[in-house]
Amino acid sequence: MAPAEQYGYAVARLRAMSGRLLEEALLLRVLECEDLESAIKVLGETVYSGWLMELKGIGEFDKAIEAELLHVFEEVHKFVPDAALVELCRLPYDFHNVKVLVKGTLLVREGGERRFDLLTKLGNIPVDDLITAMETEDYRLLPFGLHRLVPGCFTVWEQSRDVLELEKLLDEGLFEAMRLGAEASGVESAVLWVRARIDAENVRSLLRLKRMNVETSAAAGYLHAGGLISKDRLLSVFTEPPESWAKLLAFADVSSILSGVQDGADLNATVVGLEKVLDEYVGAVLESSKYDAFAPGNVMSFLWKKELETKNIRIALVSVSNNTDRTLARGLFRHVG
Amino acid sequence: MDLLGIALAIFGAAMAAGWAGAGSAIGVGIAGESGAGVMTEDPGKFGLVLLLQALPGTQGIYGLLIAFFAILKVGLLGGGAEVTVNVWQGLAIFFACLPIAVGGYYSAIAQGKTSAASIQMIAKRPEETGKAVILPAMVETYAVLSLLMSIILLNGIKL
Repeated sequence: MAPAEQYGYAVARLRAMSGRLLEEALLLRVLECEDLESAIKVLGETVYSGWLMELKGIGEFDKAIEAELLHVFEEVHKFVPDAALVELCRLPYDFHNVKVLVKGTLLVREGGERRFDLLTKLGNIPVDDLITAMETEDYRLLPFGLHRLVPGCFTVWEQSRDVLELEKLLDEGLFEAMRLGAEASGVESAVLWVRARIDAENVRSLLRLKRMNVETSAAAGYLHAGGLISKDRLLSVFTEPPESWAKLLAFADVSSILSGVQDGADLNATVVGLEKVLDEYVGAVLESSKYDAFAPGNVMSFLWKKELETKNIRIALVSVSNNTDRTLARGLFRHVG
Repeated sequence: MDLLGIALAIFGAAMAAGWAGAGSAIGVGIAGESGAGVMTEDPGKFGLVLLLQALPGTQGIYGLLIAFFAILKVGLLGGGAEVTVNVWQGLAIFFACLPIAVGGYYSAIAQGKTSAASIQMIAKRPEETGKAVILPAMVETYAVLSLLMSIILLNGIKL
């Protein structure tokens, strides 16, 4: 980890950049638009204007959102003393790309087609390098443990023919790589952030599995190690009704988000609402960084807020585009302070 | 003229100017880094950033002031009559210079950090500029107290 004093420039610049994060008032203006064209026009008043102008059609708004996020990742990567922090935030996108390519390869074997359009440039590994590695089956140079994981995925597929098994393997690999990356960076808040992300993912999985009435023994395979709450502890509450989870996990910070689970019968609505609360929970572990002018946690906090901002824009634009319930969309907006 | 006495007085003057100046350089540097970060994104804040960056620079001036007083006292400046400074008087001048040397060094660094935080504050909340200036100015109090003590002690030494 670079000495804290080196973060003076980076944190000050990020504070200035955070002034350009979209406020809820603007998102509400987007949401109030009658059609996608007017919504894009409102978004054109923001930092997204440059990217929106490059679009061939308004339906491609996701490309503009991705371009802005990529620009921020690359810009922040240039000036932060520990570039590993940015790499940590981009890691989930690498694993997303790997999932797309592995599944694509399996589809091709079954006579289907690859979906290159689902790949994102937001990862650390250039998309072209990843495609080349997959097509030549030369995984030796893939970082983040992917050189072992990718061949492992094909082996698992041959044995189980179950896509969920691949997902589990790659998710486990992602969280392992994130944990190792955070520990190697030496930034305490980064380690805490990764552990909170693992907790959030575990809670999300548990509620989904509960909704699907999965057996406890089967649920164990979907939980990841390394969170603030142990897998065993989480499994012990799985057999209980969801409304009692908050009380059973009262010792952990994550219990605050579970307190919203009141009605065990309405798990469908809970799971949708929980996405927002879990995102805010992950961001909250970095909140204390804002009181320190030289804390590396400010880097991750800003990048996480930027990711939440892009989620908010997607929610607003998809809601306008599909003409869905605006109140529901508004309720899903993440707080970007 | 006792050479050791003069040497001690000069050493004190050098400490005052050197340490307070070094503290100011570090403090201004810390604030400057934050200032550069903010101005990369918002060049319009130059005026405010400059004011906050300059605040930790005052300790260096205080140190220089005490250094002048000390060498004036022993007659090395101003072309006055030759002054005799014995070892004990030289030692007294040396100790009189210490408050601004030590106080100036540490307060300048602390003020630099506070200024950096204040610069970050105005990056996000430009409307809070007044408060942003007051916070590092509070640290200045202790540099002024150190300066005052050094002046009082120097004035109290009879040659």
